[in-house]
This record gives sequence, C-alpha cells and structure tokens, in this order.
Amino acid sequence: MLILLAGIFACSKKEAAEKDNTNTGASADRKAVLIQLADEIIIPSYANFKLKLDVMVSKTNAFGNAPTVTSLQELRTAWVDAYKEWQKVEILDFGPAEMYAIRGYMNIYPANVTKITANIAAGNANLDLPANYTASGFPGLDYLINGAGTNDTEIVAFYTSPTDGAKRIAYLKNIAAKMSAMFGFVSAEWNGAYRETFVNKTTIDASSPFSSLVNGYIRSYESAVRSGKFGIPSGAMENGTVSPQNVEAYYKKDISLTLAKTAHLAAIDFFNGKSVKSGTEGPSLKTYLNSLPSSTTLAAGINAQFAATTQKLNAINTENLSSVVQNNNQQMIDVYNEMQKLVPLLKVDMTSAMSISISYTDNDGD
Amino acid sequence: MKHYFQKPTHAAPLAAFRIIFGMMLFISIIRFWCKGWIYELYIKPLHFFPFYGFEFVKPLGNYTYLIFIACGVSALLFAAGCLYRIASISLFLSFTYIELMDKSTYLNHYYFVSMVLLLMVFLPANRYFSVDVLRDKSLFASQVPKWCLDSLKLLVLILYFYAGLAKLNSDWLLNALPLKIWLPARNDTPIIGPLFNYTWVAYLFSWFGCAYDLLVGFLLWNKRTRPWAYITVVAFHGLTAILFPIGMFPYIMIVTALVFFSADFHRKIIARLKSFFKKDTTLVEPHVEFKYRPIVQNVFVCLLAVFFAIQVLMPFRYLLYPGELFWTEEGYRFSWRVMLMEKAGYTQFTVKDASGKRIIVNNNEFLTPLQEKMMSAQPDMILQYAHILRDHYAKSGFISPQVYVDSYVTLNGRRGKVFISPETDLAKEEESFKPKTWILPLNDEIKGF
Repeated sequence: MLILLAGIFACSKKEAAEKDNTNTGASADRKAVLIQLADEIIIPSYANFKLKLDVMVSKTNAFGNAPTVTSLQELRTAWVDAYKEWQKVEILDFGPAEMYAIRGYMNIYPANVTKITANIAAGNANLDLPANYTASGFPGLDYLINGAGTNDTEIVAFYTSPTDGAKRIAYLKNIAAKMSAMFGFVSAEWNGAYRETFVNKTTIDASSPFSSLVNGYIRSYESAVRSGKFGIPSGAMENGTVSPQNVEAYYKKDISLTLAKTAHLAAIDFFNGKSVKSGTEGPSLKTYLNSLPSSTTLAAGINAQFAATTQKLNAINTENLSSVVQNNNQQMIDVYNEMQKLVPLLKVDMTSAMSISISYTDNDGD
Repeated sequence: MKHYFQKPTHAAPLAAFRIIFGMMLFISIIRFWCKGWIYELYIKPLHFFPFYGFEFVKPLGNYTYLIFIACGVSALLFAAGCLYRIASISLFLSFTYIELMDKSTYLNHYYFVSMVLLLMVFLPANRYFSVDVLRDKSLFASQVPKWCLDSLKLLVLILYFYAGLAKLNSDWLLNALPLKIWLPARNDTPIIGPLFNYTWVAYLFSWFGCAYDLLVGFLLWNKRTRPWAYITVVAFHGLTAILFPIGMFPYIMIVTALVFFSADFHRKIIARLKSFFKKDTTLVEPHVEFKYRPIVQNVFVCLLAVFFAIQVLMPFRYLLYPGELFWTEEGYRFSWRVMLMEKAGYTQFTVKDASGKRIIVNNNEFLTPLQEKMMSAQPDMILQYAHILRDHYAKSGFISPQVYVDSYVTLNGRRGKVFISPETDLAKEEESFKPKTWILPLNDEIKGF
C-alpha cells in the first residue's frame, strides 16, 4: 500500500500541483506553531511575569519588615505590575501551568475575607488546599493591601497592630512566597525539559501538547476571561443577579478594566502568534487554520469576533468595573455577549477544523 | 432455490471462523479491561444514555465487571467450541448488553459483532475441530449446509457494500470531507504523513475508500479476485488503524474476511493448529454431512430471510425522516455509516421553573467529557440529557422544571450554527421514532445516500 501510494504520489504530484489550486502549498505545520508559541510567547511571557513577581515578593518582604505608607505604596505598585503581567500568562493554562493548577494559586476571586481572617488567626494555613485558593493569590493580596483599611494609614496600622500585626505580616509574606514557589515550578519546567517535549510531539491525540494547548487556551478564555471578568459580575450567567463585589481587583477599584483588556489582548495575540519579543506575527493557530483546506475563512471569522469584543470593551470608560455593574451593567453584558459568540467559534469550529480529540477511547467517527 | 439450501460445504471455514472470531473478541475484552475503560466508561459516569426501547440495559456498578468476565469466558468457550450453544448465546447476550449500556460508546463494529454472534447462535460451528466433538464424537461433521457459511459472507458483504453506499454523497466525493479535515491533522505520520498536506490525497482516499467498500465484498466472494482483494483488505484496514483511533475494528475485519477463503485454506490452518496441540495432522477424515431436521431448517431459513430483510432495509429508514440525515442523525446508527462526519457541538442547558428559579447547568457535573462530546451533537442524546436534568432538578426543589438548550454544532467544516430550537422545553418532549420537530434545519443539502 505504501509503495502503491508512493508510486501514485510520484506519478501524479506534478499533475496535481498544476490542477489543484486549492492547495496553496502551505502545509499544516504544527511544529512551527509550537516553536513560535513556546519561544516567542510562552517562555518570554513567563520570564516577564517572573521579573514582576520577584519584585512583588521582595516588596512584600520589605513592607513586612518595615510597614510604612511608603513601603505599602511600593508594594502596591509592584502588585499592580505583577497582576497586569499575570493576565498575559493566565491564558496559557496547559502543560506545566495546568499540571500545577497555577491559576488556583494565583487568581481565584472574589477573595474570601472571612477565610483570610480565619487563616491569619490560625497562623498555620495550608495554602496548597484548594479551599484556600480564594484566600490567597492576587485577590487575597488585593484585600490585604487595598481593602484592609479605608486609607493607607489604616492599612499600615492593620500590620503594626501590637496584637495581630505579626500574624498578618506572616500571612501576607506566606501568600507571596506561595505564589512565587508555585510559579517557580512552572517556570522551571519550561526552562528545562518541557520545551523540547512541547515542540517535538506534534500529534493531535488527546494527550498531545497541541491538543492540550488548544483546549487549555479555549478553557481559560471561556472561564477566566468571559465568565470570571464579565459573565459572573454582570449576572449574565447568574440569572441576572448582579454581583459587583465579584469583579477582579475589587478592592483596588481602578485597574479592573485594564486587567480585562490585557487578558483579552493576550488571547488575541496568542491566537495570531504575535511575538512578545519582537511584536511581529509568526506561525500560530491563525496560520494553522488558514493552512487547512477545509477552513479557509474561519481564522478571519474568529479575529472579526475578537475585534467585535474589543469594540465593546473600549466602550467602557471607567476602570472600576464594579461601578459599571451597578450603574451601566448593559456595557458589561454587551462584552459578555460578544465573548459568548467567540466561545463556540473557538470551542466547536476551531477544534473540529483542527480535528482535535478530547477522549482516549475508540471512535469510528460517528 | 430449494436445491441451494440442500447443498453442503466443508465445515472447516465455519470452524476456523469460530476460533478466530472468538479469540479476537477475547482479546478485545482484555484490551478494554487493561485500558481501564470498564471503570472509565461504565462505572465512573453518573448517568448513562441507553437506547430507545432498551432502557432496562444499564451498567451494574461494580458488578459490571462480571458482565465483562462472562463475555470473556464465553468468548473463550465459543472459540474452543466448548458447550457451544450455551457459549454462543451467552456471548451474544453479554456482548450486546455491553454495547447497549451507553450510546456514547456506540461503534458500528460493536453492532457488527452482535449481528455476527446472533447468526452464529444458529449455525453448526462446533461440528468440526471443537471441544464439543472431542467429548462427543457423534457431533462430528465434515460437511455443513452451504447456506450457513454463505450467510456470514452475506453479512460481511452487506457491511462493506452499505458502507460504500453511504459514501456516495456530495460531502465525501465532491468535497473530500471529512478526510480533508482529518488527513492534514495526521501529517506527522511516518513516511506517508507529508502526503496528507495535499488536498488531492484526501480526494484519492475518499474515492478509493468508496470504491473499495462497494466492491470488496464481491471481489472477496469471487475466487479469482480473492487473493488480491484480501491484500487490499489488509492494506486498507492497516492504514485506517495507523491513522485513526478506531481500536480493534480494522483487525476484526482483517480476520473476518478470511471467511471467504476456500475449505482447503481453512483445513490447512486447522492442521497447523492441530500440530500445535500435537494432534493427528492428516487431512484424511470421515465424510459426515450435518443436516438440520427439515422442520428446523425451514424455520431457520425463514428467520434468516427476516434477518437479512431487516439488514437490507434498516440503513434506508432515514428516508422516512425529513431533514438532512447527517444533521439530525434520525436513522443514522445501525446502518454501517462509518467515518463519514467530522461533527462537534456545544451545549449550554438552562433549567427553570414557574416560580422563577433558574440555573445554567455545568455539564461536567453530570457527564464525562466523552458523554458531553457525544451528547452535544446528537439530538436523541440531548433529549435524554434534558430528561436527566429535569429529573435531577425536580428532586432538588424545582417545580415541574423546564429545560432549554443553547446549542451550536458544526458538520464537516461548515461554519457552526444553532442546532436545537432554544424555545423548545425539552422536559416536555418525549423520545419516539417520530421526527424531532425541535431540530433546526441545516439549510444545506448533502446530496446522495
């Protein structure tokens, strides 16, 4: 059969190339996509985030060692920088990030203040427990450095309290250390052997890097961006019951929109293979879709829907999404609705066009 | 015609088929077990999708393993021709039970196996080279009615021919779909992979596959073309085994096609087996012809006629339904439609009641990823799931819950569209063989069978 096919191939290759104008010669090259995503997006994005996270950890320790309004403000700036940078890697929920459930340690909100208070009092909280996800990460820090008092003096007093100050500082440091340690595992994998595994296994079975990156990317856009940032606070997914307290960075009040836009843009750039280092586009999910003979217009359709979503995001002109939910919720719902149109395009049309499988069992295609 | 049913043929092909088929099933069961699929598919899920009319067929919790043990043991006894009648009946029943437990795992080849086993229950496959004959020499027969062997061949021929008929459609032949989607995704296959980047290869495979299915049964039946046809069987199924995750099916078909070979060929196989067991390997044997009693033969032949009438008509039942078959899948199963569609869907269910209670369902809380994937693109499963949700939420405080679905399905590379009417309360719809009016139209025609 192989010889037969090779023979047919040899005989008719030239003829077919002349006749068949649907074949553009651009082959579906998954390896090129994997290399571009690994070297131009994933690894440099993680490196950028690590820089910001390291600064945040050191500012946390500096504040803990000497809680003053100045050191608090420095910590807060570092926290904002790291939180923004996190938005660019949250979308990469596959491979080591998925294995270590890194998103759980970083960004599950709203923060649970009751649990945070209890953990501080107990003094020995195990931040590895999923139950403590909402008491740690960026949202936990949001409460601890932005919401623990009505102004900076009060917040500093929260940590200089002779009775509980030390425990609170310990917990604050504990959260930052946990984030750093968990991210360290993910970062080490990518800087170690995983990069080779990732770029060299080009199959599309359920356990392959290509499948898990596509599935992880879609899942994180669906849950972290669409549901988390818009669907849940706006009530669009909750029977219309609005919950302004469930927006991201609720206590900081003036970065929610930037965080959402950053995450959305990161998702677009990832789809288009835009290098974090050079800013130019390379092999990507887009080019891969375009190289498949049966889905020539899908990538353009997906980008059009991304653009429609961006437009609705740009219509919001205040950073405080909590107040948008309360005063102009239709803007939130508009964004959600556009994102909701994107999900099936990615989840159904794109995975089907790429023939990505989700299960390990036998299938005869019906 | 009457004369035909009196014709004998050598018993060796039927006996060899019994051994090979039984062993393949035994291996399938072991493989299934080793992969952990018994737990994964039949014990772990919280809910199941039984077939209409067979709702009583359910997994039995941890006792499900017993069904698989029964099936495996029956397969061994069947292969050995030991207590053949009991073994063949229990193999048919246990295998079919497993197949009917959950639609999510439906495969055409499971159905094929069930149909072969049903036939085998009635055939004298234990009269030659079997444990039954060893124990009771009077059972021995070197000749069995020719129609017994031919009925197996006919079933195989129908399978291939109908699989070929199903490929005579515009998506398959004119657009090379779904192979045009599937092949580029496998372009990293060793040696032949780079070929899959070329669209013409998808066309070549589509046309070759269609012609192959339509013709191979006849070419196997014809003595002169048989060896060549068999080579294509091995090559074709070997290739599909490399390219697609279709499990045991290619191998089962490769060995099943041996049934077309001559008695001498099978006698040689059996002689080999005999020498393995250190038995007498001479080909000399008494000439004993097995015949059914006339009344039994007449009943069996009538049943056989009914069986094949059903086989021939079943794949055409889709004509009784309006709409596009690939889209509605009304009359799709049990028709040898294999590898014809790249179909995927997305469903989001909303349950509400008159008091204003409302919830958006997280499918992961109810279904496994495989079940969700299968349910999302198949209307009858969407309805079953809607009823699972209705009953679940009725217990948790909803008063006569209503169930609505937002669904989106893509078929063979078409841009996805809404699949099920979002205004239909699925809690009130009932399953039946009637057309499902709440499936929205594809608004595109796939011409052909």
